[in-house]
Order: sequence, then C-alpha cells, then structure tokens
Amino acid sequence: MLAIETHGLTRLFGEKAAVSELALSVPAGAFYGFLGPNGAGKSTTIKMLTGLLAPSGGRARVLGLDLSTDLLGVKKRIGVVPDGLGLFERLSGAEQLRIHGQLYGLPRAEAARRAEELLAALELASDAGKLVGEYSHGMKKKLALACALIHGPRLLFLDEPFEGIDALAVSGIRRLLVDLVARAAVTIFLTSHVLEVVERLVTHVGIIREGRLVAQGSLEEVRGTGSLEEVFIRMVGEERTDPAALSWLRGESPA
Amino acid sequence: MRGEGQRGAGAPAPLWALAELRLRLTWRRLRGRGGIPELVARVSMAAMALPAGIIFAALTGLHAYRAVRSSGVSAALAPAALFFGVWQAWTVVGVTLSDRESFELRRLLVYPVSPAHAYAHELLASLVGDPFSLFWSVLLLGAFAGAALARPGAWLLLLSATYLLFAAATVALVALLQELLARALRARRVRELGVAAIYIGLMLLVVWASGRGPGAAIRALRALAQVRWVAYPAALATEVTVHLYRGHTLAALPWLGGLGLATAGTTWAAYRLALAEAMSGGEGAGGGGAAKGGGWRLPGRVGPLLELELKYLLRHPLTAVLGLVVPGVAAMVGWRATPMIPPEAGEVVRALPLFGFALYALLVTQGVWLNVFGRDRGGVRLWFLAPLELADVLRAKNAAVRVLAFGLFAASAAMLFATGGLPPPWAILAALLLHLGLGPFYVAAGNLVSVLNPRPGSHGLQRGASLAPASALAGIAIFSAGAALFAPPVLLALRLDRPWVLTTCWAGLGLLGAVIRRATAAATARLVERRREALVEAVAGDL
Repeated sequence: MLAIETHGLTRLFGEKAAVSELALSVPAGAFYGFLGPNGAGKSTTIKMLTGLLAPSGGRARVLGLDLSTDLLGVKKRIGVVPDGLGLFERLSGAEQLRIHGQLYGLPRAEAARRAEELLAALELASDAGKLVGEYSHGMKKKLALACALIHGPRLLFLDEPFEGIDALAVSGIRRLLVDLVARAAVTIFLTSHVLEVVERLVTHVGIIREGRLVAQGSLEEVRGTGSLEEVFIRMVGEERTDPAALSWLRGESPA
Repeated sequence: MRGEGQRGAGAPAPLWALAELRLRLTWRRLRGRGGIPELVARVSMAAMALPAGIIFAALTGLHAYRAVRSSGVSAALAPAALFFGVWQAWTVVGVTLSDRESFELRRLLVYPVSPAHAYAHELLASLVGDPFSLFWSVLLLGAFAGAALARPGAWLLLLSATYLLFAAATVALVALLQELLARALRARRVRELGVAAIYIGLMLLVVWASGRGPGAAIRALRALAQVRWVAYPAALATEVTVHLYRGHTLAALPWLGGLGLATAGTTWAAYRLALAEAMSGGEGAGGGGAAKGGGWRLPGRVGPLLELELKYLLRHPLTAVLGLVVPGVAAMVGWRATPMIPPEAGEVVRALPLFGFALYALLVTQGVWLNVFGRDRGGVRLWFLAPLELADVLRAKNAAVRVLAFGLFAASAAMLFATGGLPPPWAILAALLLHLGLGPFYVAAGNLVSVLNPRPGSHGLQRGASLAPASALAGIAIFSAGAALFAPPVLLALRLDRPWVLTTCWAGLGLLGAVIRRATAAATARLVERRREALVEAVAGDL
C-alpha cells in the first residue's frame, strides 16, 4: 500500500512551475527522504500534500484518501512540522501542546497527559511553563515535532527538521523518528539538506530538481554502489565555477 | 593579508552603508503591498506637521521674546511650559508610536561597524522623516528665534546648545524607556502594573485637586514641581534657559553641564541595554513566563479554540491598557459630564453616555476585529494544517473579541454608574442590546477585512498599530456605517419621548445582525480557505 501517491502534481507561481508533473510513490511504513537543492520544490510539495497550498494541477492520494475531496480526513491522520514551524508564541509550551492535541480531536485530559509525556521525552519538561516566544530555535523545533506527534499520526511530514539545531538535539530527534518507523509503523516524509543524516535514516529516497522528480526508489536502488551524496550531486548537477573567478580570495591580483 | 577588503579612499564608510540600507528597506516597504497608503499617510502627516509647527512656533517665539524682555515671572514660566510640554508629548508619542523594532541592533553586530556608532545612527535615523520630531523641532526653533530677536548676543550659542542637548536628552530618554519597556514586557504584568500605578496616581491627583477649591490646582502644580527632576531633560533645560533669559550666564553653566552629563549618561545606559539585549541572542532568555497550562474547561469543539484566542487576547498588553483606560474614562465621564446634563433633557439624553460606552467598547477593539489572524503569526498555519472547520476558527476568534469588548463595556458601565448614578433599567437594557446587537455587524465586516487585507499583528505596544492603513480606513467606514444604522432609533425615541422604541429597534437590529452573521459565516470561511496562501504569506511571512 502507498502512503502517498501523486500523479502530475503541479504548482505554478505565475508562469513559473515550482513543482511540475510530480509522480511520487511513498510506500506505507517507509522513511522517505525527499531531497533537492534550494528552490527545487521540496517545501512546495509538502505544502501541497498537507493542504497549505492548492495544487495548480494533478492528483494526490494521502493514506488512501483523495486530497482534493477529503482534505479534512487527511489532516486528521497526518502530522506536520512545517518550514517555519507553526507555533503560537504567546502560549506556554505545555499550553501549545495540549491545545494542539485538542484541536486534533483529543479529549482534554488525554491531550494534557500526552503533552506531559512528549515534553518529558523531548527534554522540554523544565521549560513547559515558558512562553514559546522565549524558546530557543532548537526547543521550538522539538516542540513543533511534539505537536506533530500528539494525535498519533500515521504519516509524518517533516520539512528540514534538523536545520539550525545542535548535534545533541539532532541525535535525540533521530532516535525518536527511527523508533516511530520501526515500532509504530509510522510513515515519515522528510526533507533535509544534511545528506549524511538522511542516508543513515531513510529507507526510500526521492530526488527533485527544478520541480521535477529525477530519481525515486529504495535507498539501495537510488544510490547503487556510491554514496547518497555522490548520487545527489550527479542528479542535481554539480556547480561549475569559473576557475578564474574569486582569484582575489586566493590573494591573486586581478588581471 | 589574504582576502582583506580593499577599503580605500573611494570606498563607502560603513555608516553610509547603513544609511543606504535603511533607505533601501524603507523604499522597498513603500513599493511593496500597502506601501502607497503608508506613503500617503506619511506625506500627509509631514504636510500637517510643518504648517502646524510654524503656527505654534510663532507662539513659542512670542512667549520667548516676552520672557527675555521681562526677566520677571514669565522668564521662568515660558521655558518651563515649553520644555515640559514638548518633553511629555515627545516621550508619550515616542514610546507608544515609534517603530524602532524594524531595524535591530542584533542584525548589525555581524558587520565591522562599532555597535555604538550603529546605535547612534539608529537614534538619528529614528528622528529623520518622523513628522512628530519635525513638529517639536520647529517649536524649539521658534522659541530660539524669539529669544534671539529679543536680545542678540553670544549667549545665544549657549541657548542653542541647551536646545540641542534637550532634544538629544529627550531622544535618549525615549530610547531608554523603550528598552526598559521591552524588558518589562517579557516579565508580564510588570508593564501593566506600571501603567496601572501611573493611571491611578493621576486619577488620585485629579480627584484631590478638584475637591479642594480653586487654589488646589496651583497646590497640585507645586507638588508636581517637587518631582520635576524625573523629567530631567525638561527640568535641567528650564533651569539653564531661565538663567540665560535673565542674563546670568555663569549661573547657567553648571546646569548646562548637568544636562550634558545626564544626556551622555542616559544615552550610554540605553545603548548598554540595547547592546546586552542584542548580544543575548534572544534565545531562552527571560526565565519563566506563563504558568504551566492547567487549561480551561471550555466545552464543545470550539472550546479549545476559544481558550487559545482568549489567552492570546488577555496576554496582549493592549488589553491591559484598555482595561485600565476605558473604565477610567467612563469614571471621569460619570463624575464630571453626567451631572451637567439637566434633568429636563429627558431620560434618553441622560442615557447617552452609557450608549456611547456601549459603542466605544467596540471601537477600541477594532484593532483586533479588523485583523483577526494578525497576532497568530506562525500559528496561522495550524488553521490550515489541523482538521478544523474554518468557520469554527472564525467563530472562536469573533467570540473572543466580543468577550473582550463586552468586558470593557461592563467595566465602563460599572464605573459610569459608580460615579454618575444608576440609570433606569430600560437604559441598561437598551445599552446592552446596542452593544450586543452591533457586535455581529462589526465582526462580520471585520472578518472580511481580516481576510482581504491581513498583516502581522504586534505582541507589544511600542510598535504602534497592527493595522494596515487601508484596513484602518475600512474600520472607520464600518464603524460609522454601524453607528449610523443604530442612530435613527435614538432620534425616533427622542422625538416620541418613548424609551421603549430604543430597546425594540435595537433588539430587532441585533437579531438582523445575528442572522446576517450566521448567513455569511460559511461564505467567509470559504473565502479564508480560498485565500489561505495570501493569508499565510502575509501573517507568517512565508509560502
């Protein structure tokens, strides 16, 4: 069974196609790494699959539900850590988490219980009463992840979850995610620039370049005998710079 | 050295680069969405400030001329009135309206520019293009010109130094207050308590002065004179100027030195606070904030949404300020204005202040109901990510703002009754119907404005209004239209001298508003859904 399936998914911004004719196949229970250079269309794809952005064309099914006809049903079953997070800065961490759970349909007491457990698991318990606006970037990332998890989603969308946080926090989040896939059979759809981390985590990979999918499959299929980084650079095109450029940086006089 | 920058004779100095950066940011903002109304508003303000400043400058010049010539009591009164008047107005406007957050010192620390220079540049830039600063400066210039005409001479150099130092000290003190208020905002309640203390103090002063006969105002002014050093830019500048006007140049010098030292000290303190704030990185600072979320038990699917909205509104400093000011104004009206309405004017006329506060409570909350998504910032994404009906989200937002408005109205009415006496029951019922009846009209129209023209809302006070100029204009139109709709029953009741006309008509209009609100709720929610991209982009700043 496929957790995400898209056909011809397209998003135009004016004349420019941010995502073009995307055909994703993400198996249920997979840890799917969605890779691409800056501006390739990763965040736009996540925004379309989570209902933040309307597609300009194409179809998408998420957890077996058609995105265009049952968006509410999809939303109930997924958890999202969006790019830029989605937190209310004037709520405390505990309030944010509990109310978030209630908005996803959990009874108040259950939401509060899960909030407490998640705060403890993500080492935020001592800051539970602090306003979110006072959290560090890493703490906000962890809280956003807790929000995405509180209702027990079957599919998790994570947009750059490791960006701007320290190695300790990365390690904690990584363990939690691996555990979710292995024990709870949650499907994870993740974008990240940190290829070493992605390579150690994912079971499946999709590579997008200029809005088009250029590779997709299991990690072994995509990388073959090389490393993921080598494949990624080959697929998206190595940057070519003029050898004469930046000569001033090497202490050479301009011609 | 490898990679060393080639800053030669022709290279721009970093401070000029900063000035260019600020100009470019301003230019981009004015060219962006909502830029034209902002430009028109700024030009209009400047166009009003200059002629008004010149008219008032003629008056300050005349008083300065007379004061220098007379050397009597007016030599002390004229500069005191000028400096204290300008100082308090400059400080109040500077603290409440100036928008210094748009250019943070933290972002400049990365550049090889002295932070002190960058901060000084910041202060200077906050003056340029500010119509209020232009107005105060023209007033001071007028006073200087009057004094110069009265007695030309070298002493004018010292007088000009006094005026310049006064302006610099006031700007520095405003900056220091902004830094302190920004810190107080982090420790919630401190700011509200401060506002409350000032407010209650002023009220007590007015009550005390008015209850003690004609001489009480002068006694109150004498009492205020004892604490005038708090406003040191005005107090020190007054001392210098009084001595200079009387021709006692040597006696003025220590005061002038004191003003210079105090200005330097204030600027240094403001700068150190700003630098410490900038270098703290703003991460995890501030210690414990809100209590751990025990939560409210609000029922239904809208319950958690309403809890969120109410907490957001209650934690906004504007709510605390409104909660203090609006009932306070009501107390003043009940105490001073209501007794002045003669009994023969009739019950309807005597109830007008109460009706006025039923409307006023809705007016002062328009910053909320005209931009209901603004304060959500990044949180706005949740409305589109979570499995929620957008109609429920709007319902919760509207309910929260109406709870706030009703709270303000109830508190105002209570103060009005306490100081002006209890009105007849029909008047209370009519005011209640007016307030509750107008609410649906305003929130329905406000929802449309919020969706069509959203902008990020502020969590502080010193950033000024959180409304786009076009929304503010729409607010004036909506409020006027609503008030006009509800006004005819008053005229009818006055003409017929039948108070029941008011209750009947307002109840009918209220029901009509509720029906319209209910009928349009689904359509508004669909509009939110259709405009979600523009909304998230405007409020959260991405997509």
